[in-house]
Amino acid sequence: MSEAVNTDYLDCLLKSWSTKSNEPLSWLHQLRARAIDHVSAQRLPTKRDEDWRFTDISALARLSYQSAQPHDDLQAQDIEHLHIKEAKNSLVFVDGYYSAQLSTIIDSAALEIGNLPELLLTHGTILESHLGQYAKFDNNVFAALNTAFLRDCALIIVPKNTVIEEPVHLLFIATQKEVTSYPRCLIIGESGSEITFIEDYVSLQDAAYVTNSLTEISLSANAHASHIRIQRESTQAYHMANCAVSIAHGSNYQSVSISLGAQISRYDLDVQLIAEAAECAIDGLALISGSQLADTHTCIDHMKPNGTSRQQHKCIVNDRAHAVFNGKIIVRPHAQQTNSSQSSRNLLLSKTAQVDTKPQLEIFADDVKCAHGATVGQLDQEEIFYLESRGLSETTARSLLTYAFGAEIINRIPVISLRQQLEQTVLTQTKNNK
Amino acid sequence: MSAVLQSLVNQPYKHGFVTEIESDIAPKGLNEDIIRLISAKKNEPEWLLSFRLKAFQKWLTMTEPEWQNVHYPKIDFQTISYYSAPKPKKKLASMDEVDPELLRTFEKLGVPMHERAALAGVAVDVIFDSVSVATTYKHKLAEVGIIFCSISEAVHTHPELIQKYLGTVVPVGDNYFAALNSAVFTDGSFCFIPKGVKCPMDLSTYFRINTEGSGQFERTLIIAEEDAFVSYLEGCTAPRFDTNQLHAAVVELVALDNADIKYSTVQNWYAGDENGIGGIYNFVTKRGLAKGKNSRISWTQVETGSAITWKYPSCILRGDNSVGEFYSVAVTNNYQQADTGTKMIHLGKNTRSTIVSKGISAGHSNSSYRGLVRISPTAEGARNYSQCDSMLIGDQCGAHTFPYIQVHNSSAIVEHEASTSKIGEDQLFYFSQRGIDAEEAVSMIINGFCKDVFQQLPMEFAVEATKLLSFKLEGSVG
Repeated sequence: MSEAVNTDYLDCLLKSWSTKSNEPLSWLHQLRARAIDHVSAQRLPTKRDEDWRFTDISALARLSYQSAQPHDDLQAQDIEHLHIKEAKNSLVFVDGYYSAQLSTIIDSAALEIGNLPELLLTHGTILESHLGQYAKFDNNVFAALNTAFLRDCALIIVPKNTVIEEPVHLLFIATQKEVTSYPRCLIIGESGSEITFIEDYVSLQDAAYVTNSLTEISLSANAHASHIRIQRESTQAYHMANCAVSIAHGSNYQSVSISLGAQISRYDLDVQLIAEAAECAIDGLALISGSQLADTHTCIDHMKPNGTSRQQHKCIVNDRAHAVFNGKIIVRPHAQQTNSSQSSRNLLLSKTAQVDTKPQLEIFADDVKCAHGATVGQLDQEEIFYLESRGLSETTARSLLTYAFGAEIINRIPVISLRQQLEQTVLTQTKNNK
Repeated sequence: MSAVLQSLVNQPYKHGFVTEIESDIAPKGLNEDIIRLISAKKNEPEWLLSFRLKAFQKWLTMTEPEWQNVHYPKIDFQTISYYSAPKPKKKLASMDEVDPELLRTFEKLGVPMHERAALAGVAVDVIFDSVSVATTYKHKLAEVGIIFCSISEAVHTHPELIQKYLGTVVPVGDNYFAALNSAVFTDGSFCFIPKGVKCPMDLSTYFRINTEGSGQFERTLIIAEEDAFVSYLEGCTAPRFDTNQLHAAVVELVALDNADIKYSTVQNWYAGDENGIGGIYNFVTKRGLAKGKNSRISWTQVETGSAITWKYPSCILRGDNSVGEFYSVAVTNNYQQADTGTKMIHLGKNTRSTIVSKGISAGHSNSSYRGLVRISPTAEGARNYSQCDSMLIGDQCGAHTFPYIQVHNSSAIVEHEASTSKIGEDQLFYFSQRGIDAEEAVSMIINGFCKDVFQQLPMEFAVEATKLLSFKLEGSVG
């Protein structure tokens, strides 16, 4: 795996980057320029990098995928089946570009929602202080690329003390093959606000493409956010995602992320508890088969005292698939009274399935409670036997137990219709297993 | 919390003194000539010299690893003297002939050797600065066919065994420090338990570093044939020095069918002063190969000393049904750093491994658990249970865990648990309410915390370890 090979993918994208002279805001332009400088200074990670030890993206490095171009012959009925009925507001992005005709915004009085170029005119100052401030790209080539190609961006600003009951649906649809798209989201929860949003990645075709997404979330004091992330890309796609979350005093961040698609998917979630008494709960489920690879790296950084975090990550791995989990919990000096727990549970359904898990603790304060656990195993023979004794066939028993393993995570999704939809997906998938 | 805790933590090193014995020191530096000199001094056969040279060539091509979670100034390998031996004397037949100065050293350590040998029935192979001076109980062991001697002696008396096994578990190019050791190792212990023999006593080597500026490169090789059993103890203390001393030992264990090797270590080398000046760099490669069916390798370690401890006693579970165990207590204080753990490589069917690791950090120290559990595709029905707990005393120290779990076989069951805690105020209050002062309470709580590991130690070692821990942390909680 030489570096010469690596440059292909990056070179190709670097060449296509151009400055737009008619850029209205210099800060945004500077941000992009700074990011492109970082891209050219970096290379694609290889298995020699500790953070990418188990995830080989050398295949991606050889692809010469251009950035996607806007493409708008998609009709509302094409995506009807992707609609989530609870969601009143939805923003739809096609290959990373905002589609106003497919999106529905009805709540604009209570909540600032829309695409970056429009909101820049009215909310320039607030956006300047948040956009690109949480996702550091000096050491992350995918975050740098996303920032360099930043154009459209899903924006939600929840005003002070506003509670938004209905979830917001952010739908990212891939329609072109052999391109790279750059979905981007920024969610700002002002103090005392509350919101639920669904970040949903889908594909309308079974083709190879690259999705490089980046989400930034900032919660002010006592804000609540529930973040549901569904990745159901084509099984030939590459999905490289970063999410950076910053949560302030007394705020609460809850995240459920479900990973079903993509040939290689990588999700880096970075949560910083920047003030006292912040709370976060992070759940993840990867359900993969064939030769898929799903890699989740999370980092929960307790920077101030009295923080609480809970994390549960589950993987169900079949065929020759490979699941990777790396969960780091940092407790900084003086972040006393931190309470943190983490568990990584993995279910292997076939002999050739593979799991690499590394729950990691770095603790620099003494008055803390931190625990982590990891298990890897297969379905319990006794449990299967019990169900068989009740008249279920072995296949049914297996799929029921597998489903139950995943259901624990899915049940944490607060949106009913989405939950039912996912339960159905998991059931179908587990039935297909043997 | 602070006052008593502080004084506990700041307990000076009790074993710091230098014994003056004439030493035969090689010039500083490392090159082929030095290796030839070591080999010639030790009168070694040609094959061993070529083993050393091969390792040296390998070493030259390697770079010092940097991934570990410890920090230290770069070592200049050219300023170390690679050979130092007490002036050659004729071999000793009994304890009475041992240099009285040497005996006094052991007495200062609180473990008078003759008493220890007589009372506990332990055969002590004294390693005093790289060369074996006296070996007791040799005859008794020889009766049942056990070979227990220094490795340089074994090279002459049992060359076929050394040639067959040396470097098979830790190959010469395994890692930077193992390659260095293979090139320049001076002495160590060799132990061979023939087929069907249960070793009648615990075998023990008392390591000591002496002679300022000389790195010690010990090499230990233990072989247990079919149905054999041995329990081996390794204990370390070192005098107080200001310059950092490098210790890069290699330990290899081989267990054949149904064999059982238990390897216990108590390490209390000089850890540097309260400002982190001086202390031993303990970079050790320890690995056991459970080669045969139903074999078992068990590592138990109590790590309290050294400025930097960096080692991963590992088990390669190749034989079907073989068992690997790792029990560890690592205590760090002041500016000590420890990056320790284990690797369990499951290759055979129905192999099982257990990991219990307890880390205690105080002062400005950092301790890390770094472990690997790998279940390879061939390891049908493998099972692992890992538990690593850390305790922090004070808010300047750090505890880290890096458990790598790699499972490539669906029939495996792997469990990992870790927790971090501190000594609670309410626990201390409960003790004080029962009339037990804070210091004793801390010592009791810590002993309770480490109980799972201490239980694995042979009796005398368990006593020593308990004592060690309590004076290591004397006055650290209030």
